[in-house]
Amino acid sequence: MTGLLKFFGLVHAGISDNKFLWLLIAGFAVFPIVTQLVDLPFWNDVAMRIMLLGMAAMGLNLVLGYGGMVSFGHAAFIGIGAYCVGIGQYYGLMNGWAHILLSVAVCASLGLVIGYLALRTTGIYFIMITLAFAQMLFFLFVSLEQFGGDDGMSIDRAEFLLIDLYEPLRLYFLIWVMLAIVALLLMFIVRSRFGVTLRAIKSNESRVEAMGLVPLHFKITGYVISAVICGLAGSLFASWQEYVSPDIMHWTRSGELMIIIILGGLGTLAGPLLGAIVFLLLEEFLPLMLGALVPAYAENWMVLFGPLLIMVVLFGRGGLVGLIDSKILPHLGLGKTAVK
Amino acid sequence: MTLTLILEQTFNGLQAGVTLFLVAAGLTLILGIMDFVFLAHGAQVMIGAYAAAAITQATGNFFVGLGLAIPLTFASGYLLELLIIRHLYRRDHMEQVLATFGLILFFNEAIRIGFGPAAIYSDLPPSLSGFVEILPDTPYPAFRLGVIGVGLIIALGIHLFVSKTRVGAMVRAGANNPEMTAALGVNIKILFRLIFATGACLAGVAGMMLGPLTAVQSGMGEPLLILSLVVIIIGGIGSVRGAFVAAIIIGLVDTLGRVFLPSILRLFVEQAAADGAGPALASMLIYILMAVVLIFRPTGLFPAKG
Repeated sequence: MTGLLKFFGLVHAGISDNKFLWLLIAGFAVFPIVTQLVDLPFWNDVAMRIMLLGMAAMGLNLVLGYGGMVSFGHAAFIGIGAYCVGIGQYYGLMNGWAHILLSVAVCASLGLVIGYLALRTTGIYFIMITLAFAQMLFFLFVSLEQFGGDDGMSIDRAEFLLIDLYEPLRLYFLIWVMLAIVALLLMFIVRSRFGVTLRAIKSNESRVEAMGLVPLHFKITGYVISAVICGLAGSLFASWQEYVSPDIMHWTRSGELMIIIILGGLGTLAGPLLGAIVFLLLEEFLPLMLGALVPAYAENWMVLFGPLLIMVVLFGRGGLVGLIDSKILPHLGLGKTAVK
Repeated sequence: MTLTLILEQTFNGLQAGVTLFLVAAGLTLILGIMDFVFLAHGAQVMIGAYAAAAITQATGNFFVGLGLAIPLTFASGYLLELLIIRHLYRRDHMEQVLATFGLILFFNEAIRIGFGPAAIYSDLPPSLSGFVEILPDTPYPAFRLGVIGVGLIIALGIHLFVSKTRVGAMVRAGANNPEMTAALGVNIKILFRLIFATGACLAGVAGMMLGPLTAVQSGMGEPLLILSLVVIIIGGIGSVRGAFVAAIIIGLVDTLGRVFLPSILRLFVEQAAADGAGPALASMLIYILMAVVLIFRPTGLFPAKG
């Protein structure tokens, strides 16, 4: 009983310290009602993609933002998670929970091996070796003709016990629940002794070592956790897309995840989710805006998006969360509440 | 037959290797001296290829195209550094990744707007489209041989420049310890702007030489960028010598692996399995090589930092 009370106390403290994050997540819960009212069900699809990419970005943020390990290969884990569904179904495994267990197991062991090898290097070398492993896996799936090779394989929405994903909004809320669980988990991890140590390693690794801890153990653990979260996002992504191809693990997607995190705010809990919202909305609206101005070039919206990214780096330190914290919240008399 | 094939493919591998070196030479110095993660280096390859192809089409003369495209790529690199890149040196690696990723998107899309989404195929002038017999009864395309020759000459030039001249000494010192070099009175900013422009120009030359061999299209530089990053990591960041050795290794391993790995595998496993695994293993080969090098020598084969 006291244990339960303590748990809820922690949840309450965590939520009140991360109001902005939970505001966003609550927003996703009521979003389908809004789309129902204005009769634009298409936007539910966009919201699902935002939640999935946001979930993956939150996972990557644990190593990137909190641990200071710039992994340029996390799209590989999304792909592995997705292929766990595809290949599982290929061999007759139809249960969605089994797919999730499988992708967690595979991503954890793969993350352990890759993390162990890659974490021997630092700096640019670490960026590149993670990219190398992701490229290896990418080409592996390109050449696996059995599973569609380059063309990919189509997937049925997995059967989750008692949940028929073909019913409207079931998949939406499955994704939402998973997102909330991941957010809750990450919130605890970041606030735990482990999370504090991870951040300490980021700012001064030798000092952590001098305190008698082994930084490598913490880094590998963080790497594995983030790999598992990306794998989870990937296996849900497969159900959403009803299709998986090696494209899902192309190196540009690893870049995309990094962009989402930096755009939203590095090393913050709400940042990756906010980044995913803004990133994917830009992807939807920039073509419309460009199309309204110069109809012939609506497809070439990236010509605006690229410079926009450069602007974010040049002028927006701390990402959008940082901007909200330093510029917007003080004017509303709210002080700093969103981050950390 | 087999010997001919091996010889041909070795030459193809060399050609791929020297092309890679041209891309990697500038990039390794950009990474090494300024510790700057520049992902848009592939776009310089594309700009070079498009500049040469467009001018060649307009003037009808391949050599005029080359002659004008080379200073153009130098100028584009110089301007890019002046306008954007120099504001990013003090940022951390991740922000550099983000900004230069934005540059890739911009350049690829701008090219698509300017030249259309379809690839441009350019013809070689008659003087370069013949064959040369490298062995009796073994013809080899003259243009590819020319690419190897030009690449080796440029490589030699870079080597002499870096190891024998005063500016070259500054470059080496910069790669070894940029702060100390700046403290000794070298204007490292100007030095770097010139290296950046030269690197862009070399990448552009690689694009010009690739133009007649492959399709000139938007996004053509990115596969080369990834390969040249592999080259730089294997060779050691900041080391031009390392980049050359690694580029040749990667060029040969990649080309020969793709051609011969399936038949080598067939010696050990049954044909169906070999045909399935061969291409997979071949495209993974260079990344496996890079991972192995990094695991045993975490700073590459010829680390420049002292």
